[in-house]
Amino acid sequence: MKWYIIIALAALAISVAMLLIQLIKLISAGKPKDLSKGSGNISAGVAYSYTKAMSPMEKESAYLHLPTYAAGMIYHAGIFASLLLFLLFISSLFEIPQGISIIAGAILVISGLCGLAILFKRFINAGLRSLSGADDYISNFLTTLAIFATAAFLFFEQAEVLYYMIVSVLLLWIPLGKTRHLLYFFFARYHLGYFFGKRGTWPPKSLK
Amino acid sequence: MERNIKKKGLDVLAGKIDNKLLTNLNSCVRCGLCADSCMFFKALNEPKYIPARKVALVSSVYRRYFTLSGKIAPVLVNAKELDDHAAEEMVDLLFGACTMCGRCVKHCSIGVDIPYVVRKGREMLAAMDMVPDTLQATVDSALTTGNNMGIPEEEFTGTIQWMEEELIDEMGDEKARIPLNEMHAEIFYTLNPREPKFFPLSISAMAKIFYAANENWTLSSKFYDVTNYGFFNGNRAEAGKIAGNLYDEIHRLRGKRMVLGECGHGSRANRWDGPNYLGKEYDFDMITAVELISGYIKQGRIRLDKSLNKEVVTIHDPCNLVRNGGLLEEIRHIVSASCDSYTEMAPFGNENFCCGGGGGLLAMSEYNDRRIKVGEIKAEQIRKTGAKVVVTPCHNCVDQLSQLNHTFKLGVKIKTIAELVADALVIRKNN
Repeated sequence: MKWYIIIALAALAISVAMLLIQLIKLISAGKPKDLSKGSGNISAGVAYSYTKAMSPMEKESAYLHLPTYAAGMIYHAGIFASLLLFLLFISSLFEIPQGISIIAGAILVISGLCGLAILFKRFINAGLRSLSGADDYISNFLTTLAIFATAAFLFFEQAEVLYYMIVSVLLLWIPLGKTRHLLYFFFARYHLGYFFGKRGTWPPKSLK
Repeated sequence: MERNIKKKGLDVLAGKIDNKLLTNLNSCVRCGLCADSCMFFKALNEPKYIPARKVALVSSVYRRYFTLSGKIAPVLVNAKELDDHAAEEMVDLLFGACTMCGRCVKHCSIGVDIPYVVRKGREMLAAMDMVPDTLQATVDSALTTGNNMGIPEEEFTGTIQWMEEELIDEMGDEKARIPLNEMHAEIFYTLNPREPKFFPLSISAMAKIFYAANENWTLSSKFYDVTNYGFFNGNRAEAGKIAGNLYDEIHRLRGKRMVLGECGHGSRANRWDGPNYLGKEYDFDMITAVELISGYIKQGRIRLDKSLNKEVVTIHDPCNLVRNGGLLEEIRHIVSASCDSYTEMAPFGNENFCCGGGGGLLAMSEYNDRRIKVGEIKAEQIRKTGAKVVVTPCHNCVDQLSQLNHTFKLGVKIKTIAELVADALVIRKNN
């Protein structure tokens, strides 16, 4: 096995282990005890939280910022596609046909450009800049770089070493930086659904 | 900052914290898209008011002291020291620039429960003895006198007797009552102390509704305060003591059902947080005045004549009763049954903007200018409806709206739900 693949596998193992530790810590921490009597439907609230509440029509963060929202969606799709491709490459399950490689690479370039646009926005927007620390720039930069590296590897085999190195660094960073929202996001949506579901706010009632 | 003070603040985040807090401390990606959902940012347009900034004040301290990466490489992971500067910024932004209305929560791209983190930050500041004096004085008053305005029992009793005499006159019935300290009543009713102090007519409005519904109810002369500023100052022990006053009183009087008077945060603090403060499930039923009145209308226990309220009404949805309490429909059911026409603000309901007086801000006079400034959003919402009456089932909201009415010359009347309903009541002769 090539040395850089061994490094990538080690990075993957460390990343998964660190995320697992955080997951175990989360689960063992337990939910806050809530002794109040509910007036809504918690299950329906949680289901709503994971579905319709995520719709761009329901969130100002989406419908008031459509370009950013669209860029964010494409960016995240690119991240997940890159991680999936990494697993495919490293497991050597099958070879991607050249035609598909070029199309996938082109799509990833678009996704990477979206990531760059979001990073650029963080640099130029005073409000965002004031919120940002090293983590924000590192997370965004590393993820974008990994998407571009994936695209490059799809286009050129020569990019293989660089690709595995970049993805390894990203994998190690995921549990440390804000990229760990990959894990916490799902818990956040659950708690939100529980809160609003128990109180009867979610799912929203239609007014007669 | 003295080491022991810092330790007290950090102890709030130490030890066994639940996974809701752990989640919310680790979820924010600082995308900043919550900014436009926050009235403080919208009205004051400074980056420090972005809700994510308020989350970061707490989460960065958590990372610095309670995560390995924060201890080893704080700069890389946005981990920050809890020092005097950080603590002062927390006081200014967590107490003085967030009403914990929760509007940002549903619009957050992730779903971070921002007020939950803000409350945790307030708990840290409370442990560090950094609660603004004005807010703490309100809590102290409730702890020492049983109500947040420090109204002596004799004064309260006198006001109630006066309101009872008025009620007898108005109803033309010697049996009309505002009962005090009656045992085994069906309903143990609670008040915001602003009512006996400044708005006694809202007590008489509710008394008229009880009279019309032929209800068996009582007030306590000592523990009637529905508010709980311990919900705001971040001191759970004090919040528990205040919630315990009503819990003990309904048991002493052997009341069957507690009805929470028209107060947003008081309803939330008692109904949703009270059992958790006291660590026990309540063994009595508890509903808000809104649900009670809506029930009376549905059951036909009171009759209303809409035409008695001819002016156009709009509704201000208190955050703690609607977005954080699920009473969107009930309020509209009552208002539509009580007036000729009502119109909605834009936005309204779960999307509504806070009046600006929540989160204990009304009690913190040092933030008065900021409070009025952020209230301009609400004032404009009201103005655009063209309504002549603003109805809201929350006395703190009434206070803030009254100040906005005066400052921004809105020319509207501000009423509680009970006042609107009382004006539309048809009193049956055989009541």
